[in-house]
Amino acid sequence: MDNKKPDDFSPQESLRLISSMIETTRNSVKDSSHYFLLWGWAVMIACAIQYYLTVFAGSDKNYYGWYIIPVALVFHVYFIVRDRKREKVKTYINEAGAHLWTAIGLSFFATSFLFGKTGWEHSSPIYMMLYGIGTYVSGSLIKFRPLIIGGLLCFPLIVLSSFAGDNMQIVLLAVAILVSYIIPGHLLRAKFKNQQEHV
Amino acid sequence: MFKDLDPILHSQLRLAVISLLISVKEAEFTYLREKTQATSGNLSVQINKLKEAGYIEVIKQFKDNYPQTICRITPAGVKAFADYVKCLESYLGVKK
Repeated sequence: MDNKKPDDFSPQESLRLISSMIETTRNSVKDSSHYFLLWGWAVMIACAIQYYLTVFAGSDKNYYGWYIIPVALVFHVYFIVRDRKREKVKTYINEAGAHLWTAIGLSFFATSFLFGKTGWEHSSPIYMMLYGIGTYVSGSLIKFRPLIIGGLLCFPLIVLSSFAGDNMQIVLLAVAILVSYIIPGHLLRAKFKNQQEHV
Repeated sequence: MFKDLDPILHSQLRLAVISLLISVKEAEFTYLREKTQATSGNLSVQINKLKEAGYIEVIKQFKDNYPQTICRITPAGVKAFADYVKCLESYLGVKK
C-alpha cells in the first residue's frame, strides 16, 4: 500500500479503506479447534474406558480412564505456549474467549475437589453444564453455529441424565462431549483449513 | 479540498493502520505490515506520525530474544477516528 496524498484520496476511498480493514480484522479469529479436539477426545476415551471397566470388566477401578486428563493438560499447556508465540494480534473476541475458558477451567479444577469429597456419582451433569456454557458462549463469540448448537444440546442431556443411572450418565456425558466438542471441533478445523486454502 | 478532515488520518496508510487498530486490542508491527501490504520503512514512518499525534501507543519489547513492536490505539486515537468518520459522513451527505 502506498501513502496517497490527502488530495488524491477521496472520502469515498477513505470509507472503502476503513471497511476493508475492519473486515480484515474480523477474520483474525484464532483457530482454537485443537483445544476442542484435545479435550473432546480425552473425555471420550475416559468415558469409553470407564464404561468398559464397569459394564464389561466389572472392575471397581473404573476411574482409571480419567488418568488421561493430566496427560491432556500437558498438551494443553504446550498448545497455549505455542499459540502465544505465534500470536500477532490480540482481538477482543479472542480475549473474551480466553477469559471464558479460564473461568471454565478453574470451575473444573475447583469442582473436582468437591466431587472428590462427596463422590463422583452426580458429577456428569455439572461437567455437561460447563461444556454447554463454554461451547455455547464460544460459538456465539466467533459466530460458529455448530458450537452454539452443540453447547445448547448439552442442556437437554443434563435433564435426561437426571433420569439415568450411573452407567447411562457416562454414556450421556460421552454424547455431550461428542456434540459439543468433537463434532464442532472437527467442523471448526475444516473451516479454518478451507479459509487458509482460499487466502 | 478536504480541509476539515484530520490530515493525520486522511492519508491512506495511516488510515489503514488506525482502522485495523480500532477493532483489535493490540497488534504486532508484522501483522499491520501483512494486512496493509506496505513496506516496513513506509509503515514505520507512518506509525511514528500516528504516535507523535498521540493516536497510538507503540511498545517495543523482546519476545523469545527477537525484537517485537506492538501497536495499540489510544483514547485520543479512538476520538480522532470517530470525528474523522463523522466528517466523512458529512462530506458524503450521509443522513442519520
